[in-house]
Amino acid sequence: MEIEVTESGAFAELSDGRQPIGRRAAVRVAAGVGLGGAALSLLPFLSGRAAASPPTSQPPNTQPVNSEPTSTEPTSTVGTTAIGATSTSAPPQRPTGDDVALLSFAQQVEATAVALYNEALKVTGWSDEQAQVVTFIRDAHLSYAQSLSGLLGRDAPNSISPEVFDAQKGGFTGAIDAVLASAGALESTAVATHGDVIAKLAGTDGASLIASIQMNEARYCTVLADLAGETDPTVLLVDEEAASLVGKG
Amino acid sequence: MTNEDIQITDKPGIDRRGLFRLGGLTAAALAIAACSDNTEAGTVGRVGEGGTTPALEDPVVNDGVFLRTMAGISTSIANAYGHILDGGFLAKASETLPDLGDQTELVKLFQEHHTTAADTFNALALEAGAEAWTCGNTRLDAASINPIFDRVENGVPATDSSKVIGPSDDPTRDYINLVHSLESMSASSCQALVPVLSGAAMRFTAMQIGVRSARQAALVALRIFPGGYLPGLADSTVADNSSATTTAAADGATPAPTAIPQPVALPSRYGLLSPTTFIGGAGDENGVRLKINFETPSLNSFTYPFYACP
Repeated sequence: MEIEVTESGAFAELSDGRQPIGRRAAVRVAAGVGLGGAALSLLPFLSGRAAASPPTSQPPNTQPVNSEPTSTEPTSTVGTTAIGATSTSAPPQRPTGDDVALLSFAQQVEATAVALYNEALKVTGWSDEQAQVVTFIRDAHLSYAQSLSGLLGRDAPNSISPEVFDAQKGGFTGAIDAVLASAGALESTAVATHGDVIAKLAGTDGASLIASIQMNEARYCTVLADLAGETDPTVLLVDEEAASLVGKG
Repeated sequence: MTNEDIQITDKPGIDRRGLFRLGGLTAAALAIAACSDNTEAGTVGRVGEGGTTPALEDPVVNDGVFLRTMAGISTSIANAYGHILDGGFLAKASETLPDLGDQTELVKLFQEHHTTAADTFNALALEAGAEAWTCGNTRLDAASINPIFDRVENGVPATDSSKVIGPSDDPTRDYINLVHSLESMSASSCQALVPVLSGAAMRFTAMQIGVRSARQAALVALRIFPGGYLPGLADSTVADNSSATTTAAADGATPAPTAIPQPVALPSRYGLLSPTTFIGGAGDENGVRLKINFETPSLNSFTYPFYACP
């Protein structure tokens, strides 16, 4: 009885090792591989004809969208870090050794302001509105001193500047109008001092904190002048800033 | 019959089955070869003629970009004040703010400050190796300032789905509130520069400008709302618009327009970087006024090196 191999496919003879490969079958496989090889040898020629060619109208000096930027300038983390190369070198974030000295002085200025406003609030004759505003400002200075303490850690002096306190104390113990004027002058001094500190700080953490403090202390000048009944815009807007305490405290 | 008796019968020549096998083998070999050869085919072809893929400009963000951006913002603010002053809006009485008085001279002072600030920022930009930016910030103008002018002065025409919105019921109120919003944004933007600028001297100069803007914001807040030193110290909502939210009247009457909170001189203990919200213009059919947030500059408002003044 003859049983034909019914397994489909060209490699049916090779699928089971128990089945012997006959001479004729071997010839067929060899012929198939030979024909396939001949076809393979033609593929480069055929595919060269069939393949799509890239557009030839590419403008000069363009680069693929996904390629690296051609800039050789250093990449920075300044600003928006997710985008490309910048030519700005990144400043340090944490306070440097020199920064610590500057920030410590700034903290002493803030602590001194708290002490001076405490003296001011002992004065009688404040209206409710004035008392609320001055208390708000006193508490804000306390908050600034605490924030700087948090930034400085063990390096924070957490003390007032006796020189500044002694020099300013007289202005915070007189009549209400005089106290408001002294407070406005103190705030202007703080603004100038923090400006000087920002001009010297290297680390951005300290600079950011001082900037947010300075921005509000600038507003205190205007508020205190208005609270004192001042209407001249040059005074309300502090056309002439007080002198900085950096190097004097 | 046993299995040992089974033999594969091999017919002579290439029969039909053999031809199929040979054809299948050839097709498979061709398919494998097509997958593996010719790596120099180039990019994927396109059908028809199309434009090339545009090469995006390098989005450089550096000191020059920050400073050019701030120059543009300062110019936009100065131009906005020029528009307000030219229209004489601040010299007119405000129904909503009867005690406001004429703030024209004050806003002229503010305008001078921002013109000077633009020059200062441009000088710093030149030092940083960038080009000066002598026009307004296009994003701020197009997205915030011009829509406010349009809404306040012209209103909005009717559409298929909405009724006409008239010009503002009190342009003086809206424009003095806009001055406060722009001063607050200027101060916040200068403060936001501090952690991103690379040089301490540039931070100092930016903060000098920001400090002035902060004081101007505080002063104009006190002109709008005398005694408004602190949040909660007095009622900070415009009296005749005391409804905090828009509510539809049950009897079909016109709904109350959106309340406009009055600014205060000291909105917080620290300098703010949060947006400043402007609310103004006439209310729509539901009483809703225009509301726009003024924010510190970011990716969509930076003045990149490849931008040029329109």
